[in-house]
Amino acid sequence: MSEPSFEELQRELDEVVARLERGDVPLDEALALWRRGEELHRACVERLDRAELEIEDLRLGDGSGRDSEPPGG
Amino acid sequence: METRAAAERKVYSVAEFNRRLATYVGRVRDVWVEGEISELRRSPAWGTVFLTLKDTRTGACLSLTMPRRRFDSIEPALTEGERVQANGSLSLYEARGEVSLRAGTLERVGAGDHAAALALLRRTLAAEGLFAPERKRRLPRFPRAVGLLTGVDAAARGDVVAAIATRYPAVRLVIAETRVQGPWAPGAIVTALGRLSACDGVDVVILARGGGSFEDLLPFSDERVVRAIAGCAVPVVSAVGHEQDEPLCDLAADMRAPTPTAAARLVVPDLDELRAGLGRSRQRLGAGTGRALERDRARVERSRERLAVAPRLLLERRRSALDRSAARLQALSPRATLARGYAIVRAGDAVVRDAGTVSAGGLVEIELEQGGLGARVEEVRP
Repeated sequence: MSEPSFEELQRELDEVVARLERGDVPLDEALALWRRGEELHRACVERLDRAELEIEDLRLGDGSGRDSEPPGG
Repeated sequence: METRAAAERKVYSVAEFNRRLATYVGRVRDVWVEGEISELRRSPAWGTVFLTLKDTRTGACLSLTMPRRRFDSIEPALTEGERVQANGSLSLYEARGEVSLRAGTLERVGAGDHAAALALLRRTLAAEGLFAPERKRRLPRFPRAVGLLTGVDAAARGDVVAAIATRYPAVRLVIAETRVQGPWAPGAIVTALGRLSACDGVDVVILARGGGSFEDLLPFSDERVVRAIAGCAVPVVSAVGHEQDEPLCDLAADMRAPTPTAAARLVVPDLDELRAGLGRSRQRLGAGTGRALERDRARVERSRERLAVAPRLLLERRRSALDRSAARLQALSPRATLARGYAIVRAGDAVVRDAGTVSAGGLVEIELEQGGLGARVEEVRP
């Protein structure tokens, strides 16, 4: 299974918070939710901390060669 | 060919050459030239208006100047893309060796070819529903990868990279540099767009090109390009030219941005906002758990209170039940019957229920509510 995306982690965190805030969960479950929420929060922050922009140039190979015109300005 | 000895050559300095050339050029007077207006530059601060006359068939250009007051007196005002006939004389700008037509008259000749064709294409595509608001797709909140289509070495590339790197670096940026000007540009743009949108993870594409003349931006109004944008597999954000240019690609894109930087801001979330949001989530998490704890503590407290009063309640309930039993017992006692006027007759210890069990002259005891009677039987009537 691949690593969950940041979006998935954040969505689950939102769900955990919403469930806790509805206030109808038994205490044991509330504590379990809190632990899960803390875990998700940490995972999200870590994900943002180690994020680095990855740049990839697409080789078009359309035969036209590189554009020699001046860049638009 | 033989080279003449250096001493025999007639050599001009550039300035002198241009000055002489100017006299030749200046002899071309009262000529008429027809073309389409492009790159119109007019400022109230300048006494002269500069524009380019363009041959729509070959793209050949001629610089043209006109005194601003004369230009401003033309009604209705001329704009780029209009076809005109210009009358004037040629002059040479000696400092640059550039020839321009100094026009005294500009006459409108119908609508400009390009502008008219563009307006027609715009109407056609609009009628097809290509620009309809309901076609617009929402941009993904967290794209896995962002595609960028731009000209080679364009400033747009740097702007987009910088904006994404500072805003939300948790993304991959796939860049396709391609021709964005000239007759081959539309085909190249369509190809690049297809390749970009097919890239694994690319959830949104930015189409970026800085400002340019009406002609420079024409590929972005090309029907093939406009259709490719409308039919693109992922949402497209257009940041082409300046706001007033409104190339047709802007109308077909799912969103338009005034600059490449603004486009980058649209396609990725803001890291600082995300962090703040995560902080708020965490706070709510703590508060929610705290409330659950508080709620259960209060519940236990209430239970304890109820437990404390329970025995007393039980006792009271028992006592009132007892009272009710006593009342019912009371109701059943013979005393109550006597109180209603009945009497009990006894002969010895036995209660007399049958007249035949006593005989005349016998003694009986009669019990009343209050006291009793000793009596003798006078007569027996069985």
